[in-house]
Amino acid sequence: MSAVSTTPTATRPSALETASLPPRKRFPVVARFMENKLAVVGLVVIVLFYIIAFASPWLANHPYDQITFGNRTKPPSAEFWMGTDRSGRDVYSRLLKGGQISLAAGFASVVIVMTIGTVLGALAGFFGGIVDAFLMRFTDILLAIPLILLLITAASLFRPSLKTTIIVIGVSSWPGAARLVRGQFMQLKGQEFVTAARAMGASPSRLMWKHLFPNALAIIIVETTLWLSYAILLEASLSYLGLGVQIPTPSWGNMLQEGQSELLYGAWWLTLFPGLAIFLTVLAFNLMGDGLRDALDPRHRRR
Amino acid sequence: MQPGLWAFAVRRILFLIPLLIGLTLVMFLLIHIAPGDPVTAMLSPGAVANPAYLEQARKNLGLDQPLPVQYLKWLGNVVQGDLGNAYSFNNKPVLSLIGERLGATVELQGISLLIGILIAVPVGILSATRQYSLLDNTVTIGSFIGLALPNFWLALLLQFWLGVKLGWVKTSSAGIGDASFANQWKYWLLPVIVLTLPNIAYFARFMRSSMLEVIHQDYMTTARAKGLDNRSALYGHALRNALIPMVTVIGLQLPRILGGAVIIETIFAWPGIGMLAWTAIGKRDYPVILGITLLTGAAIMIVNVLVDIVYALVDPRVSVGSSGGGH
Repeated sequence: MSAVSTTPTATRPSALETASLPPRKRFPVVARFMENKLAVVGLVVIVLFYIIAFASPWLANHPYDQITFGNRTKPPSAEFWMGTDRSGRDVYSRLLKGGQISLAAGFASVVIVMTIGTVLGALAGFFGGIVDAFLMRFTDILLAIPLILLLITAASLFRPSLKTTIIVIGVSSWPGAARLVRGQFMQLKGQEFVTAARAMGASPSRLMWKHLFPNALAIIIVETTLWLSYAILLEASLSYLGLGVQIPTPSWGNMLQEGQSELLYGAWWLTLFPGLAIFLTVLAFNLMGDGLRDALDPRHRRR
Repeated sequence: MQPGLWAFAVRRILFLIPLLIGLTLVMFLLIHIAPGDPVTAMLSPGAVANPAYLEQARKNLGLDQPLPVQYLKWLGNVVQGDLGNAYSFNNKPVLSLIGERLGATVELQGISLLIGILIAVPVGILSATRQYSLLDNTVTIGSFIGLALPNFWLALLLQFWLGVKLGWVKTSSAGIGDASFANQWKYWLLPVIVLTLPNIAYFARFMRSSMLEVIHQDYMTTARAKGLDNRSALYGHALRNALIPMVTVIGLQLPRILGGAVIIETIFAWPGIGMLAWTAIGKRDYPVILGITLLTGAAIMIVNVLVDIVYALVDPRVSVGSSGGGH
C-alpha cells in the first residue's frame, strides 16, 4: 500500500519555538503519555479490569457455573447483582469469570498475531527481494478476505473451544502486523547506524534483532495495544456466533449469545452487562493505544 | 498524469489474476482440510444414513476425486464464467444465487456508507477548524465510543428497546417485501443505524486528522500570506486536499464493510451476501463459499488498485515503479 508521506516541515518546531521549550524531561514518552487524560483513563481502566479478572474468584459471590432452577432468569437484585441467566446462574459471577477468559483469549491471540507478524515482517523488510515479494503477495491474498469471513470459516473447521478461538484469531490476523513491521524495517535498514553496524561486521541476525528491532519496538507496542482491543471484539463476535468459547465456560461473547433469546422476553440484563464490559475494554485499549502512539511519535500529536 | 501510470495500472490489474488464484486456493484448502463434508452437514443431526447412499451422494458432488483435480475442475469452470451450482439452496447456480442477494447488501451498506460520509465529512471539518473546542472534544470522544461499540451488541439492545419494548420498528427483515412503501423505514432503521455509527466514527476521525494535516501545510500559510481570508483558504485550498485521502480510506474500508455484513445481516435476517455466506459456511456449501470469497476478494483487490492509482494521480511523489507493496 503506498502511503502519502507526511512532510515533517510542518510539525518541526522552528528555532524560536525550540528555544522556549521547557527543559528536557527524563522520560519524555511517559510525560507525554501522562499529559493525555483520555489515554491515562484508558490505562487505569485496563489495569483495573485485569486486576478484577485476576481476582475474580474472590470477587464473585456465587460459583459461576452453579445452576439453580428456582432462580431462572431473575432480574438484578441484592442477591444476584446482575440477575441470573436461564439456567439460574449468577450473571455477575459469570461476567467476572468471562472477563478472565475474554481478556486472556485476547492477550494470547495478540501474542500469536504479533509474533508471526513481527518475525515475518522483519524478514521481509530486512532481506527484501524474493522473500519479501512472496510474503507480501501472501498478505495481499489474506487481506482480500474479509477477516470475519476468514475467521468464521476457519473456526467452523474445528470443534470450537477457547484454544481454537485463540489459534484461529492469531493465525488469521497477522498480515496487517507483518506489513507494519516490514515497513519499519525497510525504513530503518537504510539509516546510517545500520550501515555503521554492518561495516563493523554485524551479522544479519544481529543487525535485525539488536539494531533494527529495538528501534521498531515503539510501533510494535502501539500496534499490540490496538490489536488487543480488536482481538477482544473478534473473540466476542466468534463466541456470539457460537464458534468461539463454548458454554458452560463463560466468555463475554457467548454470554451475549445466550442472552439473545431471552431478550425477547425482556431479560435485558443478560445482554446489557457483557456488552458493556466488551465496550469498556475495547474503548480503554483504543484510548491507551492512541495515547501511546502520540507519546512515542510526537509528529503524530497534532492529529 | 504520469507517463508510466497506464502501464502501472494494467500491470497491477493483470497481477490480480495470480492473486485471485492464490486466494481461492487458500480458501479451497481451508474448507477441505476440515473434518466432515457437505453430505454429512445435510443430514439432520443424529440421523443414521446408509453408508452406500452417502458414498453415492459424495460421488455425485465430485467429492470423491483427489483435491487437485477438484480444484482444477472448479477453476476451469470459473475461467468460463461458471461458478458451479450450490449444493443446497435448491442447487441454484452460485452466480445467480449471489446475484439475488447482492442487491440487498449493496443497498443496506450503500445507504449506511452514504449517510456515514454525509455526516462525518462536515463534522470532521468543523472539528478540525475548531481544534480543542467543546465540539472538537465531543467529536473525538464520540468517535472513540462509536469505534468501540460492538455493533452486534448495539443491534441487540436496539432490537429490544425500539422493536420489542416500544414496538416502533421491526427486528427482522421478514415481511419487508409485503410492507407498504411508507412502512419500509421500520425494517431499515435499525440495521442502518447500527452500520452507520461506526462509519461516522471512523470517517469523522479520519476527516479531522486529514484536515488538520492540511491546515498546517506551508501552502496554507502562503495562501493566507497572499491575502486570502481564512474562509477561502480553508474551503478553496485545504478542503480539496483533505478530501483526497478520504476517498481512498473509504475504499480501503471495503473489507470491513463486507465483513461487518455477515453478523449484522444474520441478526436482522437481512437477505444479503453476508447471511448467504454464514448459511453456506454452516452447510459446508463449498461452491457458494468459494464463489463469495472469489467475488469479494476480487472487489477488494480491484478497489486497492484503484486507491493506489488515485494516490499516484494526485501525488507525484508516489512512485509507480514498484508493483505495490509498502512504502
